[in-house]
Amino acid sequence: MTSRPSHIGAHVARVEDDRLLSGGARFVADVSLPGMLDAAFYRSPLPHALIESVDTADAMGLPGVAGAFTADDMTDVSPFPDFDRNARPVAIFPLARGRVRYVGAPIAVVVAHDRYEAEDARDLVSAELEPLDPAVSVDEALAADAPLLYPEWPDNIVIQSAVTNPDAMAAFEGRTTVSGRYQVGRHAGVPMETRGVAAEYRDGRLTVWTSTQFPHIARTMLSYCLPLDETDIRVIAPDVGGGFGVKAEFYTEEVTIPWLAMRLGRPVRWIEDRREHLISACHARDLTLDLEAAVDGDGRFRAVRGMAIQDLGAAEMYPYGFSPAFAAVSQITGPYRIPHQSVGVIAVATNKTPCGAYRGFGIPEAVFAMERLMDKAADRLGIERREIRRRNLLGPDDLPYRTSSGAIVDSGSHRQAFEETARLTSESLDRWQARLAHDPHVRLGSGVVSYIEGVTPSYFATSGHWTSFDSCSVRMNPDGTAVVSVGVSTSGQGLESMLTSLAAEALGVGRDQVRIVMGDTDRTPYGLGSWGSRSTNVASGALREAADVVMDKATRIAAHLMEASPDDITVQDGRFSVRGTPGASVTWRDVATVANIRTIDLPEGVKPGMQATASYEPPGIEHHPDEFGRLNGCATYTNASHGAVVSVDVGTGKVRVLEYIVAHDCGTVINPQIVRGQVVGGIAQGIGGALLEKLHYDEWGNPMSTSFLDYHLPTATEIPNMVVRHFQSPAPAMPWGAKGSGEAGIIGPAPAIASAVEEALSDLGVAEITRTPITAPHVLSLVTSSVSAGRREERENSR
Amino acid sequence: MKPPPFKYARPESLDEVLGILSEYGDKARVLAGGQSLIPLLNFRLARPAVLVDIVLVTELRRLVVERGMLRVGAAVTQNAVERSSEVARFCPLLKKALPFVGHLQNRMRGTVAGSIAHADPAAEMPAVALALGATMVVRSATGVRQIPADRFFLGPFTTALAQDEILMEVRFPASKKTRAAVAEVAPRSGDFAIAGVAGELVTTRAGKVRDVSLALFGVGGSPQRLGEVEARLEGQRVTGDLLDQVAALTRRTARADSEDVHADAAYRARVSGELVRRALVEMTR
Repeated sequence: MTSRPSHIGAHVARVEDDRLLSGGARFVADVSLPGMLDAAFYRSPLPHALIESVDTADAMGLPGVAGAFTADDMTDVSPFPDFDRNARPVAIFPLARGRVRYVGAPIAVVVAHDRYEAEDARDLVSAELEPLDPAVSVDEALAADAPLLYPEWPDNIVIQSAVTNPDAMAAFEGRTTVSGRYQVGRHAGVPMETRGVAAEYRDGRLTVWTSTQFPHIARTMLSYCLPLDETDIRVIAPDVGGGFGVKAEFYTEEVTIPWLAMRLGRPVRWIEDRREHLISACHARDLTLDLEAAVDGDGRFRAVRGMAIQDLGAAEMYPYGFSPAFAAVSQITGPYRIPHQSVGVIAVATNKTPCGAYRGFGIPEAVFAMERLMDKAADRLGIERREIRRRNLLGPDDLPYRTSSGAIVDSGSHRQAFEETARLTSESLDRWQARLAHDPHVRLGSGVVSYIEGVTPSYFATSGHWTSFDSCSVRMNPDGTAVVSVGVSTSGQGLESMLTSLAAEALGVGRDQVRIVMGDTDRTPYGLGSWGSRSTNVASGALREAADVVMDKATRIAAHLMEASPDDITVQDGRFSVRGTPGASVTWRDVATVANIRTIDLPEGVKPGMQATASYEPPGIEHHPDEFGRLNGCATYTNASHGAVVSVDVGTGKVRVLEYIVAHDCGTVINPQIVRGQVVGGIAQGIGGALLEKLHYDEWGNPMSTSFLDYHLPTATEIPNMVVRHFQSPAPAMPWGAKGSGEAGIIGPAPAIASAVEEALSDLGVAEITRTPITAPHVLSLVTSSVSAGRREERENSR
Repeated sequence: MKPPPFKYARPESLDEVLGILSEYGDKARVLAGGQSLIPLLNFRLARPAVLVDIVLVTELRRLVVERGMLRVGAAVTQNAVERSSEVARFCPLLKKALPFVGHLQNRMRGTVAGSIAHADPAAEMPAVALALGATMVVRSATGVRQIPADRFFLGPFTTALAQDEILMEVRFPASKKTRAAVAEVAPRSGDFAIAGVAGELVTTRAGKVRDVSLALFGVGGSPQRLGEVEARLEGQRVTGDLLDQVAALTRRTARADSEDVHADAAYRARVSGELVRRALVEMTR
């Protein structure tokens, strides 16, 4: 086939937006079934307690109540299997059995005519709880006399990997060292749509609508927990209003609601409210990186060592909440040439909401620590902060590069992206300096950071089960239009548009002739869903393999119809032509009609029908680490540099991001609007985590951020203008050279803003910023302590 | 987050409102804009037996200037006050403070009187009422009382209103002070302030402070006038040195006892001095 105008990189509108913007979308909360009941959960009010008894009699007495249940009623339910043999088993059960380990743990469920009545009844459930001492922090949980969350364990450690790499240790001898303890605060994805599940059990078949990023995995998990075969379960992920990793966990409510539908013989629905969401949907980050680097006098990093310490919350989360800590270690050296590393992981159970996935998945934590350490080393050695990065960044000659963690950086524009960002950031800072010169309260600064983001990761490392494959089915209708069904599923990020372009490209049809199907286990081939910036790679790989089969057949039919050789057939815009024979052509409709209806006209040896299904395992991914924890856990690596220009109000400590600059490289850009949207949205979320968002707990383990009054997401006023530049370094082994772009944006803001704030306050000599969120009181305390330290020094000098 | 059951009344006269309040006592809650009460209901933190919606009560919807008083009825929205040219003329501080109250969407429903009756320690309106020496006109079935602002706010979410009373009207004296300012620090635009100050002043022709009033919000459990600071400023020309002194005096005398996840009391005290400084600079520029 010859070249033709490409759909790849074309500026085309998203196909899903009409539906999403006009109220045509259908979310779980829109599912309405005859006789449907609403559920409400009675959740633990205590961070750590034994359940003595639960009394639901009063709740059952309310009119409209159809049932109230506890774990004791779930005799036909199995706990979640524990797949990871290196982690201690937690045997998650849908309702708490015997013990609660965080405020928000589900103890009982009440089902009533509507949600109002369900909540009225829920308020009448009473549980006799025997309070236990809580372990609220890692330090408390690791103390010798710590209360045990899982009394069958000797301590509260869920998993640990102590790594000692002798090469890394040797590199520290005789070199300058810089070290720090860097903490990314506890926050979460907080999608606009909360979680929700609706279920119906009819004719021996269970249908579950759930707001998930992985319907097939949800079905598999349901079949493990409920006494049903997978074929008797249909999971539908309808329109999903944002996932961000929060919905790439399989939740206990996703078992409880279907179980209720089976038990009661009526459809049951549960729509999570925001308060529930903030205490029972997975939390994330809360990772501390103790990191030390050995640095040559010229600023070249030779080795890093240390520990990733994950405050895991109660650990009742699957896939595992400790996986981001391993991901952080697997990419700790980022785009820098650092030959050795020795970084271990410890994940500790505490009496807080369990941690799980959130966009970025460990990489924001790693990059925060690494970039903070870069700044610190630069300051220590008297090297300009951008210069030290130049001396360490991977150059084109280094690629492909196997990092000290085993990651194989296959391609990228690490230096180019950095220089472009540094230049644009300096120009922006100059502009803002001039613009705000009149304001006596603020000081300005900028910071530039770089990173790689492994995309399309091994799922084995996260789940202890699956690898990384996904599937696609291409079916040509008799009229020449295409139905493309995939195992990945969308949560609003534009997968329909992306796949439409790729299908049009692969099949030689117009975009309007393609219909994408996803989010329904009955209508799509098995796949692992959408997370880890994987969908473009895995879906396009499977799509291309399936399309190749279809195109081969179509070409043979077209050749037969035009009495030409299949080798001479080209296709474009739904039409097959013969190379060198102008005027000879048949349409996709002609070909598909022959394949499906006029099968009498098929060439000899070609079977009827026009469809193919393929599964694609991205090449090069390793699933087991070596003895030093090294593995190439991802199919390819996106890279980017971020620059933040900030003002700091020295009287209040308030930080404002004035402008944000990005040079981003996700290989081949399939749809520029979608990539820009991913980058911009990710940065907005990243700014939230950097400056605002924190899930607070008091010292007794009570959650303090239980509504949007206290959990502050960034709004339009906190989001600055963003300058986004694209580089395109194709991934050599990936279909179409594409790399994922879903998570990159969120990685840079915290370290870039921290660096910028320090620069803004540099003449005050403020202490290092080592944790997020960087709130106004925190910044002011740094200013105050540096000013009073300065005054003390002045006084002492004048003596 | 669904409210427990409640009865809903929407009377069209003040007498009917007062009748329901006297019948139900502490089981009744007055509903105006609902910007605070409805979330409290949804969190099940408030469980009134009856909500008395005053939106249709004509007597409570008046916004007038009479005998040197700006009179804001209980059902007058913040947005209506914000847009009023008479408010801009008679009470510039009120006009200046309103854009800090939530977002436009909140102010389309929220009321000035409702914000004052709710007495959130971090809200702007109670501090404005205190700075301006407003009077709260409260009614019950048995009579009318007038409560000056400095005796109205008793603590966080606590006022001098009795259970059977409604805050019928807020009266702001027409201000003789020509300059007004609001300075606050909040996590995001539209959030409740961590700390803030509302103030107004007038200077002599020679540029000395003739009359000044300043009220902090967010810093303590209720809004607070800065009496010592005001006294220190009277008759003075506002110089850099004086501002330093006043900022320090604010930090020292402010009753900073509010603490939450966003800031401790020390931050609030510290920043209140800086905010007073900024407000004074703005008013004397």
